Amino acid sequence: MANPINLLLRPWTRTAEAGLRLMERALETANSLVDAVAGERRSETLLAPPLNGPRNADEAAVDFANRLLLIARQHSGNPLAMAASWSEVLRAAGSSFGRLERDGWRQWMALPLQMPLSFGTLLARTSLRGLHAGYLGGVERLPELVKYSMEFFTDLDIFVTLQYNEYLSALIQDAENHPENAAKRLLLGKTYCKLGRYEEAVRELTEAANDPAIRAEALQERMVARYRAGHFAEAIADGAAALDLAPSDNRSRFWMWLGAQKLGGYPPSVPEHQRMELRVGRHPASVQLEEIAATIGLDKTSGGRGTAVFDLEGDGYLDVILSSVHAGCSLYRNNGDGTFTDITVGSGLEDTASVFCIAVGDYNNDGFPDLYVTRMGFYDGESLLFRNNGDGTFTDVTAAAGVRNWGPAFTAQWVDYDCDGHLDLFVTANHGRFFATPAKNRLFHNNGDGTFTDVTARAGIASDYPFVGATWGDYNNDGFPDLFLSSSLGRSQLYRNNGDGTFTNVSRSAGLDAICVGFVALWCDYDNDGWLDLIQFVWSPEADVLHTMIHGERPPHGHSLRLYHNNGDGTFTLVSPELGLNECWGTMTGNAADLNNDGRIELVLGNGGPLMGSSEPSVLYELGEDGRFHNTSFSAGLPVSGKGHGVNMADLAGDGRLCLIVADGGMYPGDLLTTAVYRPKTLPGNYLNVRLVGTKSNRSAIGARLRLEAGGTSQHRMVHGGSGFGTLPLEQHFGLGKLQRIDALEILWPSGLRQRFSGLPVNDTIEFLEGAAGWRHVYPQKSRRGVAAAETHQPAAPVPAAAAGRGDD
Amino acid sequence: MNSQQSAHPKQEIGGMVPEISLPLVQGGTGTLQGFLKGKKGLLVVFWSETCSHCLRYDSFLNEFPQRYPELGLVVIACRQGETAEEILATIAQRNLRFPILHDQDSRIARQWHTQQTPRVFLLDANRRLLYRGAIDNYRYPADPDYQAYLRPAIEAFLAGKPIERPETASFGCAVQSVYYQLPKPLARS
Repeated sequence: MANPINLLLRPWTRTAEAGLRLMERALETANSLVDAVAGERRSETLLAPPLNGPRNADEAAVDFANRLLLIARQHSGNPLAMAASWSEVLRAAGSSFGRLERDGWRQWMALPLQMPLSFGTLLARTSLRGLHAGYLGGVERLPELVKYSMEFFTDLDIFVTLQYNEYLSALIQDAENHPENAAKRLLLGKTYCKLGRYEEAVRELTEAANDPAIRAEALQERMVARYRAGHFAEAIADGAAALDLAPSDNRSRFWMWLGAQKLGGYPPSVPEHQRMELRVGRHPASVQLEEIAATIGLDKTSGGRGTAVFDLEGDGYLDVILSSVHAGCSLYRNNGDGTFTDITVGSGLEDTASVFCIAVGDYNNDGFPDLYVTRMGFYDGESLLFRNNGDGTFTDVTAAAGVRNWGPAFTAQWVDYDCDGHLDLFVTANHGRFFATPAKNRLFHNNGDGTFTDVTARAGIASDYPFVGATWGDYNNDGFPDLFLSSSLGRSQLYRNNGDGTFTNVSRSAGLDAICVGFVALWCDYDNDGWLDLIQFVWSPEADVLHTMIHGERPPHGHSLRLYHNNGDGTFTLVSPELGLNECWGTMTGNAADLNNDGRIELVLGNGGPLMGSSEPSVLYELGEDGRFHNTSFSAGLPVSGKGHGVNMADLAGDGRLCLIVADGGMYPGDLLTTAVYRPKTLPGNYLNVRLVGTKSNRSAIGARLRLEAGGTSQHRMVHGGSGFGTLPLEQHFGLGKLQRIDALEILWPSGLRQRFSGLPVNDTIEFLEGAAGWRHVYPQKSRRGVAAAETHQPAAPVPAAAAGRGDD
Repeated sequence: MNSQQSAHPKQEIGGMVPEISLPLVQGGTGTLQGFLKGKKGLLVVFWSETCSHCLRYDSFLNEFPQRYPELGLVVIACRQGETAEEILATIAQRNLRFPILHDQDSRIARQWHTQQTPRVFLLDANRRLLYRGAIDNYRYPADPDYQAYLRPAIEAFLAGKPIERPETASFGCAVQSVYYQLPKPLARS
């Protein structure tokens, strides 16, 4: 970073953070004192939607600031225009402050004191985010980032409440009232595009392009609208014109390239310097994928968000649930052959709209995995707990179980953090809306009777950074799962589980408190040394992604996926750069599994940004024999564009081929895509699928560790309780390559029981019951397809388990 | 009707859908049987006056009777909270020429397990379900990736052939959402 301001600021970041936090705390304390004098009880964490609007001065200040932001955006940030529309500002103030819960004259008298304190607190919080954003991208990129965030968050306000017609009417009126103002046409055109009304978008953007000051941007937006309407040649012409005006405009360059792919090549009129080649994703792939969503019946969900793969009714076959940003969840039952029947209807999940993350875990240990879902993630929403009735239907038990939550919950995880055999629940809290009251992560302890107790404060993990992802795993091998929190804009955190229901923040000493735009994260022993490493998926702005695609690597200031190697001594080392992970993607979700059955993990990334001009491929990294990751996405057959959310990898047909599920689609009505499923065309190698059923441990065996020994090497796995958008199946998939023999499998159950088995079959799916000798086949041998070798592998007398005490190695 | 499941049995492809009776926004009451009178089949469209996806199909729906004179058409406005006045204003503004039933509390949408608008159901003269899903894959006809879903289903039905893909994707705006009940960000009225 050459900018001297950045050089000056970076060493002072921690000091500035401390100062802003101190200011925030001081203002909060002062506000509490005023509350006490006024006899006002500060409202507790919201558990239900605030249908009546803001309840107190803090919430009203936040609401008012967001409304002002919306007005500012409509007036292109022009203060004079905003001042002229004072009636709008007054109406916004009325909406924000009009319904405050006030009890008696003392509380009304206190309001003039509370308001400056509330606005001051908000200012301190917002400055802290600004500080982190400036740290990441440099101060020179801050205005662009603010503009981007403003567009995204104010749009969310309008689009989730379906107020876009009112908004559109206001924009039309505004444009008519100011015919000389092309910026208003530009905004109107962009809004039409977001609604999928491309003809009107093109009309308005054509008008806007007449103004030389904004012609380049208008042409670029028109290019996007025309491409999306299927007019590729015209889109390419617009892109070329925009590039003429702004030669560094990589977005136009990329969409022209996309258009050229559709047309079978660039039109001859496009000069060489406006063309590009895709310089990533071309490394030779070890596996060839085919898209089979429609063939297997998983294509009936659009605007996909979360995905989860689990055995719904205990019949052994893996079923699928997909959530959608605009509508309810879809539930698909496996027909027993890897094809699916949509059984959403009557499942109890169909009206659960806007679900983000689906965490799967059997919290009541009845043999049927239950679901906890979060909503929206970048906006307040109501998380819900669904108990699995075992017959393909679910019952909403959120209130009865005591796990109500209203806020910008992003991901959720099931974890037995105290190893008592009952799954507890953790919910991350992100930053909802542009200005926001900080929401708290929540840890719910399972009481063992179908109810939960919020133990967040006692556990000592009430951290106030915004978090998107969390992952639980026993990084120090002491038998208790620890917590890594991935911050969406701030410092990530590592909490070591003390084993007594409390946690210690060890982020800094572990080397895991970096500032980045972190999304989901995953504990994963990628190098099979017995110590859980950490993968943190990172979101990059579109400019850095375009740079990556055009140049084959990230720009110098770019931030890539972060892979931390566990040194085994409580510290971690960032190793992703030297492992070849040097690209920038707008990754919201990612997962790890052995897709090519070669005994080494692959990473898949679901990428994209919310705006209509953003389109990114899903990315596949194969871990090669050289110990480095290689981007083989397009060689393997993945498409070059999209907007991926819940990516998942699961053996849907039980034939050893992991299917890559990509829930695709953006937040705008004009940006709908359907879910895609990619499957290896042939079985890429031998395999073994392992399922675990806990008895003393939680029944889902979440937190269990497995070590498979074959061919002189070992492979390590952990059963996750939810890693993010794509909830991997509890089933563990081991790739064996050409190996025909497994030497041993060691299971360390969350209870501490260690069992070791040998004589295991190859190319099969088997299940272990905690404490029992032997295993059972999951699938009836005769109905398994495409695995000729498996028929010969009936288990001999299983080797008795060798039990051990709590794992404290 | 003693449980949630039996209250809303899934409408299987080939099965008969239950009769409905709802107020017609343009006046009177409408039933499926009424719209089926003299027709070989009926297209039922779950719809919302706000939904930007539905808007894309205005001309398709306006021209439907001319294009498929053998088929009836009825649209059901079903979004939570939308009023008859709003729907009537939209009819006038967008010059809509099709009959619209008002499912004010989204009850029929729930019974028909419809979460999103637009969602279409093609019925034969005996109210048997022939096709359920989207009109197309929400691309534009100029796009090589464009796929029509409903048109081939209708054409197969009218030609007396089996429908190859009787169920397709669910696209569109949510019929119900807590966000429709929250205070609106644009404080205008």
